[in-house]
Amino acid sequence: MAESRNEGLQRDPNRINAAPSKEFFIYMLTRDVQLSRAIIDLLDNCVDGAKRLRANGSFDGLWVTITISPDLFSITDNCGGIPVEVARDYAFRFGRPKTAKDTPGSMGLFGVGMKRTFFKLGNRFEVKSKCETEEFDLNVDVNQWVEMGEDDPNDWHFQFSSVTTGIPATPERETGTEIIVTELHPAIQSVFALENFQTQLMSEVTAAHMLSLQRGLGITVNRLPVQLQKPSLFVSDEVQPAVQDLTFERRQLDGKEGEGVHVRLLAGLSIRSYPDGGWYVFCNGRLVLKADKTAASIWGTSHSMRQYHPDFAYFRGYTFFDSAVSALLPWTTTKTGVDIDSALYKAVQQQMIEISKPILAFLSSMAKGQQEGQIDEGALDDSLSIAQSTEIQNITTIAAFRANVKQVPTGPKYGRIQYSKPIEQIEKVKTLMKAKSLKEIGERSFDYFLEYEGGE
Amino acid sequence: MSSFREVNYTLRPAKAVERRMLGEMFRRLHPFGRVEDYQYVGFGSIYFSDFQLVHRSLGIDEMISIEKDTNAKACFEFNKPFASIDLIFGHSADVLPLLKWETKSIVWLDYDGRLNLDVLSDISTFCTKAASGSVLVLTVNAQPELDPGEASRNQFAHDHGGKFDVGAYRLSKLEENIPGKVPPGTDGRSLRQYGVASAFYRTIINQIEEQLSVRNSTLRTKDMMAWRQFAHFLYKDDALMLTVGVVVFNETDRTVYDACSFQGLDFVRLDDSPYIIRVPCLTTKELQHLNSQLPAKDPNTRPTCPGVPDRDIDTYREVYRYFPNFSEVLWT
Repeated sequence: MAESRNEGLQRDPNRINAAPSKEFFIYMLTRDVQLSRAIIDLLDNCVDGAKRLRANGSFDGLWVTITISPDLFSITDNCGGIPVEVARDYAFRFGRPKTAKDTPGSMGLFGVGMKRTFFKLGNRFEVKSKCETEEFDLNVDVNQWVEMGEDDPNDWHFQFSSVTTGIPATPERETGTEIIVTELHPAIQSVFALENFQTQLMSEVTAAHMLSLQRGLGITVNRLPVQLQKPSLFVSDEVQPAVQDLTFERRQLDGKEGEGVHVRLLAGLSIRSYPDGGWYVFCNGRLVLKADKTAASIWGTSHSMRQYHPDFAYFRGYTFFDSAVSALLPWTTTKTGVDIDSALYKAVQQQMIEISKPILAFLSSMAKGQQEGQIDEGALDDSLSIAQSTEIQNITTIAAFRANVKQVPTGPKYGRIQYSKPIEQIEKVKTLMKAKSLKEIGERSFDYFLEYEGGE
Repeated sequence: MSSFREVNYTLRPAKAVERRMLGEMFRRLHPFGRVEDYQYVGFGSIYFSDFQLVHRSLGIDEMISIEKDTNAKACFEFNKPFASIDLIFGHSADVLPLLKWETKSIVWLDYDGRLNLDVLSDISTFCTKAASGSVLVLTVNAQPELDPGEASRNQFAHDHGGKFDVGAYRLSKLEENIPGKVPPGTDGRSLRQYGVASAFYRTIINQIEEQLSVRNSTLRTKDMMAWRQFAHFLYKDDALMLTVGVVVFNETDRTVYDACSFQGLDFVRLDDSPYIIRVPCLTTKELQHLNSQLPAKDPNTRPTCPGVPDRDIDTYREVYRYFPNFSEVLWT
């Protein structure tokens, strides 16, 4: 087969070579993904394993341990292992072949993440997997693999060190995968020596896999458990977050028949926090956009919206895309953002914008007449103080946003006066006036002038 | 114990002991070059106590005091004790990047406040720019967060859902101080007594390691910067304060570092267990009486002093060489 192809190459002068090279995957593609994200890519595979074992159930008892050190990287799970057939025919291919079976609702879908991470980390990797009735072990020296040549990409292959099938049934808790990467690249070694990297990785895992953690998956990094954070919104008689469900037919998305995409939107108010405010997007339970404050979600003139602003620090929006066919969802290969050109995403984005508008208008009205970035916290906080901080998974009633907070009284319009004066003069006036604040000086001197000079 | 044995807050004796101990450490830098030729960078305020030390006892002439209070420039200028102190007004974040870093430097950033992103950013500046043989000393407030009042407890419980938990509250405060930098595995329940100090200590060390690692990533081996800690103090005149001191040097100067033999000083700490500066409150007469018996020929013989507890005497033995002499003087 390969030979005839080569002959074909020589025969047909119009034929142009477009074959990939190993170097492209090893040295180029690895630049597109941040180190911590590359590690989380491997974690996605573990979570997919957990989903295969417990399609809709709890992940209690399932775990993933990640070890990072200057000598080796490893990630081990008890999430079912990789079947030999899957490893032989699909898992190690570059790109996902058409014939590959989809794990319903999976996170891994491009056929690029795992290999890219291996190449990014080091020169030697080992994958050991144990399923219910079979197990394998694979050892690869990347430099040797490059030197093997194999100009025809159809010849690219790795070799199992050992494969055993038909072993007596292994209990579920003993099945799993262990990945070890050694001969780490020098740049990776020096980063893995830093405790700050561990901190960063743990906080990104907390965010990226908050839903898996919530389902009970245990994740540790260097033996320390990754903490679970539960996103929440305020709910009370007076404050109601918006909840909306959308369904998209598969036929409209890729022309095929079958189950489409389910989307849930939640938006409302939470604890005031400038960095945490913004929009969160999940695809099949994996966070891909975190506290977004850009045009990738709802903000800015391209959407005829205001830019994110300190007044909006109470705002949170959550979008959950779910589909059995993960390729339908708007992820990017690095899973660090959304495919903003996807028709599905654009349609959902419109709804995200619409659902946000009343909330942002409400927050702007609270801020009206107040200095920018300083919402009249009194009125809002009074209302929020009786609202319950409620985990978003417990907010399920479809509803529109509502907030009956007493607004800044309507009536005369207010303007704001601001000016600077030398400190000494200010201190002098302050003493004469016995004023307690600069604001008081301004207001009283204005009233004084109005009283004496503004009379009818 | 009666209150006369407690610390006299106005005089900050532990701080004075720390300053002298640091001076002794700085003196050991001589293998890197004449200590007089270092530049000293600090926050002199209006007292310039650290400048008194480095000029008088180390002979350093080139001194820079960074002063963030720009409203009373004349006052600071007037109180400058020596002509060669260059007073630069501004925040350390603005001033530090502009300094002459080719010169070996002793930089003591003696903050009043807690560790925060500004402090970490100052550490980055030092680690990015400092010449081999330079020293960074950081002092920050590491007092544990008090158990908050009823209102704050309720607010916290409401915002986070569930019951109030002082550990979770302290951890959230720590996260506010150093967002994204809290060392992995930090348990809120540990943030009492010296817990905040040890979290801050790790954060400082992590920042130094990270910044030097980035700086080194493109350097030849002989130019790569290593760091060694020499100071790790805890002391408490009022709030608990943490001081960490490190020296950075390149591969070429590694043997020079060894020649400094910091280990020769009792109060040097090379790891995460701090030297706790304890200062007994003693009268001038008691001090003189104890001094006359020190250093003891036989280290197992404890000096004596009527009415002074043994514990105070032992503490005093450790610090007596660095103990400040406070006396009342009437200037006429």
